[in-house]
Amino acid sequence: MASSEHFKRNPEVSWRTIEGQSVLVFNREGEVQVLNEVGTYVWEHIGESIEIMAREIASEYDVSEEEALRDVEAFLEELKGSGAILLAEE
Amino acid sequence: MDRFPNIAHFEDLPRPMGPGGISLSIADLCVRFDGLDPKLLESARGRYAPFLSDQRPQHTVTLYPGSAAYLDPAADGYFRALERPLGGARLYLSTDFAALWAEGTEAGILRVSSPEDGEATLRAMENYLRWVTAGLALRREAFVLHAAGLVREGKAYVFFGPSGAGKSTVAALSQGCGLLSDDLVLLLRREGRWMAAATPFKGALSQSAKKAGVFPLEGLYRLVQAPRHALKVLPSAQGLATLLASCPFVTDPATRHDRLMPLAADCCRLAGVQELEFAKDSGFWESIAGEKRDG
Repeated sequence: MASSEHFKRNPEVSWRTIEGQSVLVFNREGEVQVLNEVGTYVWEHIGESIEIMAREIASEYDVSEEEALRDVEAFLEELKGSGAILLAEE
Repeated sequence: MDRFPNIAHFEDLPRPMGPGGISLSIADLCVRFDGLDPKLLESARGRYAPFLSDQRPQHTVTLYPGSAAYLDPAADGYFRALERPLGGARLYLSTDFAALWAEGTEAGILRVSSPEDGEATLRAMENYLRWVTAGLALRREAFVLHAAGLVREGKAYVFFGPSGAGKSTVAALSQGCGLLSDDLVLLLRREGRWMAAATPFKGALSQSAKKAGVFPLEGLYRLVQAPRHALKVLPSAQGLATLLASCPFVTDPATRHDRLMPLAADCCRLAGVQELEFAKDSGFWESIAGEKRDG
């Protein structure tokens, strides 16, 4: 799993956070996705260290750092799969 | 194979299709079509009668004969169109027309594949008008929404959703209401308030049934067909997401982000978005009236 530092947001995705939830619009397809609070936190910190993200999430929610790290990694894979994020060197 | 025109296709132009012109107004947006032959002018006047205007146009497009075909037809028979940048302008093309509009200018070019086919040319004009209206609107604190708009007691109720969600059904079930559109509605922020305006775009219902004008926006309803009527307030992010998913023609990421997002978010904030589960009868109006009574 690549660290979040290796990813960047896809510029073809427009987004805006409203009341703690990010709304993502995939411009080409016109598809729209709403992220929950944790997803929004990760999305807003794309490009930063996933270890720090996991630590922040663990301190905010009732999960261990290890569990948070696994969740962040899985979510990044999901974002990568949907095309919302790209490898930074792309 | 698709045939994409280059910039020269819009520079080395033949004579316009004719000497006539027509201006159409959608709220305070006005678009003029020039280069119409007399027969086409008459057809356009008939089709767009409630929207004919003598306002000063913000955009003028001239019609010219074009190439035999641009895009190949869609395999499923549905309308197929593409938009992309071309030489600092936006290119919009379909099977039987190619259009170019340099953003920031007030002029466009529409080249039509079959100028002798009046119906095909009217379709090209209408598709151009949809496209340019969406762009002009965003520069004037407005946006277009795939929606049915209905006027009841002087207020606009806007029902939106994708094709098949029930926009035309809701409009057809609303006897006694004024019709703004059963396809695309223009939403405008004017003096801090959101308003809804009629549009001339062809839907399933007759153009003559439309009530041209601008009305205060009373509610936004995301349509979901269901066995019974029910209303549910959507959380802000979900409300915005559903609204954005029904905004057509904004494929440019910068425009979507810089102009559409803040407008749509403000519209959601002030008007609120509700999900309307509706069965195919007019009882949904009672749900809406009940919700208004209960506050």
